[in-house]
Amino acid sequence: MTSLIELTAVSKTFGSGADAVHAFGPVDLAIEDGEFISFLGPSGCGKSTLMLMIAGLLEVSEGDIRLAGQTVAGPRTDIGIMFQDNTLVPWRTVQGNIELQLEMRGMPVSKHGARIDMLLDSVHLKDFAERHPYELSGGMQQRAAFCQAMVHDPKTMLLDEPLGKLDAMTRESIRKDLQALWMQQRPTVVFVTHSIEEAVQLSSRVAVITPRPGRIEEVIPIDLPFPRDLDVKNSSEFARYVRDIQEIFRGYGVI
Amino acid sequence: MAMASSDRPGLFERTGAWVQRSWMFIAFFVGFFLFWEWSVELFDIPRYILTPPSLIVAKGWADIDRLIYYTYVTGLETVIGYVVALLVGLPLGLAISFSSILRRTIYPFFVCIEMVPKIAFAPLFISWLGFGLLPKVIIVFLVCFFPVVLNAILAFNSLSEELTRFCRSTGAGAWTTFFKIRLPAAMPQCFVGFKYAAINATVGAAIAEFIGSDEGLGFYIQIVTGNMRPDLAFAGIFFLTLLGLALFGCVTLAERLLIPWHISVRRSRP
Repeated sequence: MTSLIELTAVSKTFGSGADAVHAFGPVDLAIEDGEFISFLGPSGCGKSTLMLMIAGLLEVSEGDIRLAGQTVAGPRTDIGIMFQDNTLVPWRTVQGNIELQLEMRGMPVSKHGARIDMLLDSVHLKDFAERHPYELSGGMQQRAAFCQAMVHDPKTMLLDEPLGKLDAMTRESIRKDLQALWMQQRPTVVFVTHSIEEAVQLSSRVAVITPRPGRIEEVIPIDLPFPRDLDVKNSSEFARYVRDIQEIFRGYGVI
Repeated sequence: MAMASSDRPGLFERTGAWVQRSWMFIAFFVGFFLFWEWSVELFDIPRYILTPPSLIVAKGWADIDRLIYYTYVTGLETVIGYVVALLVGLPLGLAISFSSILRRTIYPFFVCIEMVPKIAFAPLFISWLGFGLLPKVIIVFLVCFFPVVLNAILAFNSLSEELTRFCRSTGAGAWTTFFKIRLPAAMPQCFVGFKYAAINATVGAAIAEFIGSDEGLGFYIQIVTGNMRPDLAFAGIFFLTLLGLALFGCVTLAERLLIPWHISVRRSRP
């Protein structure tokens, strides 16, 4: 059986000649259909670069990425992406921003009314559909950005530190919703984060990425029951996963 | 906006609130003109040097027909020059920002020309084209054109990396991307150029008239100053200011209507 996403000896170098910066790789990784995998690493390790390469938005310097059996050679339109800074445009409302994704793809907005309502409901933004992004808190903006990234119903989701700029309580609340959504629909999720706790809480596997040039040090399956609520998070098994990963980063002098 | 029209305060309340917020400014403004009025008497300044505001109003009113006609003349030069600068500058800025050849040829040329004080060309245009409307329109055009073009280039080249990637990830074509993302995203920076040009437009018209004309507010100010009539010169300056404010006001109004979502517009709301 082939995996949904296959990375073979992928590496990325920025620039060329004497000024070339070896940013990432080489890495090999197979991501299975329906799993939730986190790329966990310190800032600047190249985890976002890797995600952008999977999306076809950055070219690989060497190696090969295959998504659903096809080599990624340009931007892939069959996935949903949330970028580090959200892509909500200020001239549209929340509803309008979600519709923007459909309009850009030439998909009929009228046929997706129910899906938009469902998404807004699932992230508790139903009453804010007609607000503009600047009228929302940071957490609400990220929830809206999530709906925008998912409205075309992609089976694969790439999330680049979507909670990075939020406060701890908001992060906790959005993690819970994200996990519920993943459990219900089982898309394949690639989640980029620098929070160990977040990676352990959300993921079925965590790919631990070393400081630059980034390599995958270890892929750790997280064998804890879903949903991972506060009880699971307070368990000794959870703490052990977190500690093991901390040890890896301590070995690299990151923490 | 969520605010219903019925909760909006009435004109009276709004004026009251404005007075409350700005009373220091109003007091200073009134004080400035009172000081001017009295200091002319107090320091015994000859009337052919400086006239008190009350006299400017009285004498200006007596010459109102000429002032209004000249405002129309200068206004026509200003508006034609400004509108043509917009109509040429915006598409050209757009073309330069999307064409690497234009960006390497015309763009550096424009940046060089921007360093030249355009007003310095005014006597040449008058000598080439005479006293009529055309040389003034060209000078207003020159003064307005560069801020419009250069800001448009900046505007269309500064889409965020994130939004660029978003557009690519949707597979949208160039036209869809342009009309749904690039154009609206560029509007705020374009308006920076439009507003700057609007401020400069009346300056260009007035100076062009100083150099060679037989009508218009610039012509009027020069002639009455030569006749030792500062009262009428100030009246002319007042109408020139009104003209500039009207143009700037129209551009600001257009900005509010076209990009009400932008922060520079939002901030100025009550």
